[in-house]
Amino acid sequence: MSGVPGRRALRAGTLVALAMAATLVTGCWSRRELDTLGFVMAIGVDRAVEDRKIQLTVHIAKPFAMVARSEAGGTLENKPFWVVSSTGYTVFEAMRNLVSQSPRRPYWSHSRFVLIGEDFAREGIGDILDQFQRDPRMRHRAWIVIAKGARASDLLQVEFELEPMPSEGGMGILLATRAELSTAVADYTLHTFLLDLEGEGVDPVATRAEIVRRPHEFDIRGDLTREVIGASARITGAAVFRDDKLVGWLNKPETRGLNWVTGRVKSTVIVIKKPGDEDNLIGLNVVRARGSFAPHVEGEEISVLVKIEAEAAVEDVQGFVDPLKSPGFWDSMERRMATVIRNEVLAAVEKAKELDADIFGFGAELNRRAPKKWEAIKDRWDQEFRRVRVEVDVRARVTRPGLAIRSVRIME
Amino acid sequence: MHRLETLGEKEAKGVKGGQRVNAVEGGRLSGRQLAAVLILSRVVPITIAFPAITGIEVPQDAWIAALLGTLLAIPFAILVVRLGLRYPDKTIIQYSEVLLGRYLGKLVGLVLILYWIQTAATVLRACGEAYTTAVMPETPLPVFTIIMAFLAANAARHGLELVGRTGEMVAWIVLFFLVLMSVLPYDVMRFRNLAPVLPRGLRPLAEPTGTVLALFLQIVVIGMAIPYLGRQREATRVSVNAVVVSGLLMTWLAADLVAVFGPTVSGLTMATFSLARMVSIANFFERMEAITIGVWTLSLWIKLAFFLWAAAVGLAQLFDVPDYRPLLYPLGAIVIVFGELSFKSIVEREVFYEFRYFGVFSFTVALGTLAILQLAAFIRGRAASRAGR
Repeated sequence: MSGVPGRRALRAGTLVALAMAATLVTGCWSRRELDTLGFVMAIGVDRAVEDRKIQLTVHIAKPFAMVARSEAGGTLENKPFWVVSSTGYTVFEAMRNLVSQSPRRPYWSHSRFVLIGEDFAREGIGDILDQFQRDPRMRHRAWIVIAKGARASDLLQVEFELEPMPSEGGMGILLATRAELSTAVADYTLHTFLLDLEGEGVDPVATRAEIVRRPHEFDIRGDLTREVIGASARITGAAVFRDDKLVGWLNKPETRGLNWVTGRVKSTVIVIKKPGDEDNLIGLNVVRARGSFAPHVEGEEISVLVKIEAEAAVEDVQGFVDPLKSPGFWDSMERRMATVIRNEVLAAVEKAKELDADIFGFGAELNRRAPKKWEAIKDRWDQEFRRVRVEVDVRARVTRPGLAIRSVRIME
Repeated sequence: MHRLETLGEKEAKGVKGGQRVNAVEGGRLSGRQLAAVLILSRVVPITIAFPAITGIEVPQDAWIAALLGTLLAIPFAILVVRLGLRYPDKTIIQYSEVLLGRYLGKLVGLVLILYWIQTAATVLRACGEAYTTAVMPETPLPVFTIIMAFLAANAARHGLELVGRTGEMVAWIVLFFLVLMSVLPYDVMRFRNLAPVLPRGLRPLAEPTGTVLALFLQIVVIGMAIPYLGRQREATRVSVNAVVVSGLLMTWLAADLVAVFGPTVSGLTMATFSLARMVSIANFFERMEAITIGVWTLSLWIKLAFFLWAAAVGLAQLFDVPDYRPLLYPLGAIVIVFGELSFKSIVEREVFYEFRYFGVFSFTVALGTLAILQLAAFIRGRAASRAGR
């Protein structure tokens, strides 16, 4: 039984060894303290001046500037963000090169935007998206935004009122545009872009943004210091890609046309001419919409039937109307609403055909429904797509008049 | 069935002089615990990576491959259990000696033990890779594998009963979060991605189905657990249930992944992990990868412990070592190194999981040994019944 004390000594030894080892693990292996990080809020990609190089521009949050504001309780002393560029032959190299300029290590996980300059987007963006797909730090739900007529580095310089952080401001505008105007494609993200790139019979779209200059026509300086925002940005529709190359743009009505077809209209405003009084207008608030499409094959001809159901409320009417006393007024309003929707859809289809980009995924749907037919024509889908006959079946309903059935009568 | 069982017992006494398994491991396992451990073992290769989906030609049909693989795995599980129940007090290592004689039996047993060690090594390596790829790219791999191997070997040292009990508890957590994770990215799910179904027929599904089945064949390890089951009548039902539950989970996840990732899913290193990254509820409840990693760590720990236990007990019985517990830490060390040497990179691992390597390997080892044992049992059964007549 001499083993017992030996064993006890062994145990004690193990304990001591473990305790000593524990002193080695006082912190995380690759720990990053918050105050050593620079949070990247948006990433912009352009072609650099040097041949084959990529210019990466990021917009990094400056938390201390935000704190200074809340303490001062007034306007910002500093811009709460910093825009800085670096270059490299690949995206990753450019990302790494950034550390030579940034005193804080860039932290990438919070970036919600991938902004791409128009010129670069026309060259093709598949190669740069590969980095965003591989890197676990990147959000796959980041929005891809194409700067129309500008470089991403310029778009990153814009500011918004109400939100000191441009990335937050941009997100607010994008989400609100999706929710209330449906003229944005905020459901299309890096994730869907990659899916559409790899998917057969569908081409990707991305958000289109433009820089808006805000010159001040008169001197606004006074007793109070006012912030002056020199340039802001707007969401003005969608960017259309064929494969990974930017080929054209959808304006706002065309973008909404795309959203009607794919069932992504949430709410929007439609303005129609007032039935029986063409000088005046009526504003309708679309509160509910559904959209779907189904391709049909008849012999050689492929047609697509787009079905849209929309429900709207009357928001404002110019000039007097009493629907109780004007039979047919209500139906007429619904027909005009349906016409507006149909025209938007057809405009989007026309533009897509003109750009040879199947942004709706008609081909993909054909593949799902008639795989054999798709197999036969997929190699010449470019040409087939241009010949696809699109029929639009709109069921528009105006259901609510608001709190007033008839307008206020102006007595003379 | 009953006739065969008593026959098996008689035979066992005749050959090995009635050696008791409990000399090596004294634990008892309930049916539910066995099911939990088996389910967790099957869940590991779908929680982070998904070998049957990686590189698949027709991703939208991956769920069919998963379902077919599961269906094919059910008869295999039944066969393994039936064979085990002929010798209710013996592990597969012991009765292979009974059936095949001392030397051939030991050889078959050794092959199976190496199979379990290989499984443990692959799983352990995958664990380290997932950690480094997903969350801690700068930490060296051995940091994770050593910790994990130590924890698993430690659990296994406390016996099958502990592994089973913990497994039962862990299984609920794992299943809950796995299902939750698979549902939360609901806003990016497009189940129309699953169409067209079978555009090129069943032919391209042969290999993925084979891979699914090959992974299921690891269930041959039931042969080690059967003698320690409390109520052995449940063995068949429990094993089939475990196959069905994990198979359905795999089928659902395969469909779910395609709904979210479409055709790009076949190019993802860790598809299910990427799925958790897609969660975004109200732009706030986001980036749930950590939960997947946690869930996966738990299930992996149980699987590793179970396979290490099986290998250790198997070795002890093979070489008549009275206690299997001293074997566990060395085994853990072997598994760490084996895992380290198995693949140079994740890409090489994915290549290994292709049917022509892993499938053929798993089929040969699991189906091969089972076929030999079945054949021997059949011949001995016939001989015994003839002698008895």
